[in-house]
Amino acid sequence: MRALVLAAAGEGGQVHLTSQTRIVAAVIALFFMLLILDLIRRDRLQERYSVIWFVAGLGMLAGAAFPGLLELVADAMGVRNTNVALFSIVLLLLLGLALNFSVIMSRQAAQITRLAQERAIEKALAEKQTAEGRNGGSAGEQGLEPKKQSFES
Amino acid sequence: MRTLVFIPAWNEEASIASVIADVGKSIPGADILVVDDGSGDATAERAREAGALVASLPFNQGLGAALQTGYLYALRNSYDACAHLDADGQHPAEEVARLLGEVTADRADLVIGSRYHSGAVAESGDYRPTFSRRIGIGVFRFFLTLATRQRFTDTTSGMRAANRRVMALFSQHYSPDFAEIESLQLAVRQGLRVEELPVRMLERAGGSSFLTPLRSAFFIFKGLVVLLVGQFRPRQAEAER
Repeated sequence: MRALVLAAAGEGGQVHLTSQTRIVAAVIALFFMLLILDLIRRDRLQERYSVIWFVAGLGMLAGAAFPGLLELVADAMGVRNTNVALFSIVLLLLLGLALNFSVIMSRQAAQITRLAQERAIEKALAEKQTAEGRNGGSAGEQGLEPKKQSFES
Repeated sequence: MRTLVFIPAWNEEASIASVIADVGKSIPGADILVVDDGSGDATAERAREAGALVASLPFNQGLGAALQTGYLYALRNSYDACAHLDADGQHPAEEVARLLGEVTADRADLVIGSRYHSGAVAESGDYRPTFSRRIGIGVFRFFLTLATRQRFTDTTSGMRAANRRVMALFSQHYSPDFAEIESLQLAVRQGLRVEELPVRMLERAGGSSFLTPLRSAFFIFKGLVVLLVGQFRPRQAEAER
């Protein structure tokens, strides 16, 4: 990411990429993608959450290989300074990722809550059954049998 | 008519036994479930000793999740009506019995015990809100009334009675962060009959309220956001399955 930023540090909206910066950016992008693959391989990252990072890596690689792309994008955005275009794209991307993680986190929090509730209820029911078993079985209750609902509309 | 009274409790070992005894005396036919919200003290043990069934959440999940556990339990086990009250001894069980009466008579789907309803008589030792609390109460009262077009006086009351329709709704949708207020809005939006009944409440037996002025302000702000968002939630035709 830093390499890309450096690579774009031209003057007056022109991007002057030396072959050195392009190589550095490409190498970093490749390492980044290898890291992702390794994380998946070692079960530290699930595939479904890796796609977005892989796309980011490919984007970096594309930026290094074809520096003209960045100017095209900046033109399309109506931004004269390519640096500004680059920064806004990266910023928006990170913002989107953070939001994406908040959504995933909320979903998982809800799942954890439901799991805790289910476990609490099951344990309580098991406890109740053993207690009823000790008291001679029938306590006059049919706990799990659904009854007719008298006030259904 | 099978009735469940559930009591969400978080670290209430001092008061839980007397609350259970009170419920057992005032609502004799009801099963009692204590939802232990990951207490670090002996709440679950005290509750079992007092003869209640205990559902223990493995870690503290907040009041909303604890209440939802109760509604889910009532729904799963085919109770016709359920009620809940606070574990700190503020809620006299005889008042809960009156709420349940409204539900079993099918005059309402959800009945809220209100401390501030004009009918509630203030006796010495009865509940009296502090000044900062009164501001919060006023704000929520105003906005909830605006949102639901129904008059509510005690929006955060933890003393409620409900029938199966409400169990079905609340076991699916119950905000963990802003349980009391959002649930009222939700129930009204789903077309359920929500009613307030003036009740007598007592000063809390032990412990203190969690509200400091700054927290109150944040609480109010959060509540308003929740209410605003709630107005745009999709209505469901029928939550019952």
